[in-house]
Amino acid sequence: MLVITRKLDEAIVIGDGIEVRVLRVGREGVRLGVTAPSHIAVHRREVYDQIKAANVAAAGNPEAIGRLAARLRERTTVEAAAGDGRRNA
Amino acid sequence: MNSTPQSFPPGIDAITFTDGLPGFEECRHFVVMSSPTLEPFMCIQGLGEDAPSFLAIDPRLVVDDYRCELGESDRTRLETPTGRPLLWLAIVSPDAGGAKVNLRSPVVINPETMRGVQVLEGDQAYPLDYRLTAG
Repeated sequence: MLVITRKLDEAIVIGDGIEVRVLRVGREGVRLGVTAPSHIAVHRREVYDQIKAANVAAAGNPEAIGRLAARLRERTTVEAAAGDGRRNA
Repeated sequence: MNSTPQSFPPGIDAITFTDGLPGFEECRHFVVMSSPTLEPFMCIQGLGEDAPSFLAIDPRLVVDDYRCELGESDRTRLETPTGRPLLWLAIVSPDAGGAKVNLRSPVVINPETMRGVQVLEGDQAYPLDYRLTAG
């Protein structure tokens, strides 16, 4: 891992066109500004890992996916499951 | 723009996910299959050896008023806007005899450009594990 010390308002450049700048340093955390080309996705690591775990749990081979569909079709009416999917505020 | 070696039979109309899917970043090409035996689900099937497949469902069939905004990088990678509507799919995973649906990070496909993304910074109000069935 490359370790670089940066002060407030200093930046690093990654590859072609990605800049990470220190905007604020506080007791609670460091605020970073990321400038990147619009096709580059920037994510918080913990969000990425959460979705990765969900994808890994969902993945299977086509036969397993077919069996899951068959099982759910037997017991699910999607209408019955429909409703308010939002968590209680 | 066809720089990736294609390990699947020619003639298959594949959807390209330029960043893959989290956990399966190496797999960039998928097909979406629907059939009477899957309905109302669909299968997002990766192309290539040991590629993952996923069961998926239109999130609006699960939650009537489902809404999700696309960020700038997602729109760029999908090459929107276009005239045709986008295909939205929420990934379903087995869970204790039932199933859960990831409503927070849907897969979105632009059928015109055959580009796909998984939305990662989705609406935090939707759960990653919405219970589809009473297991």
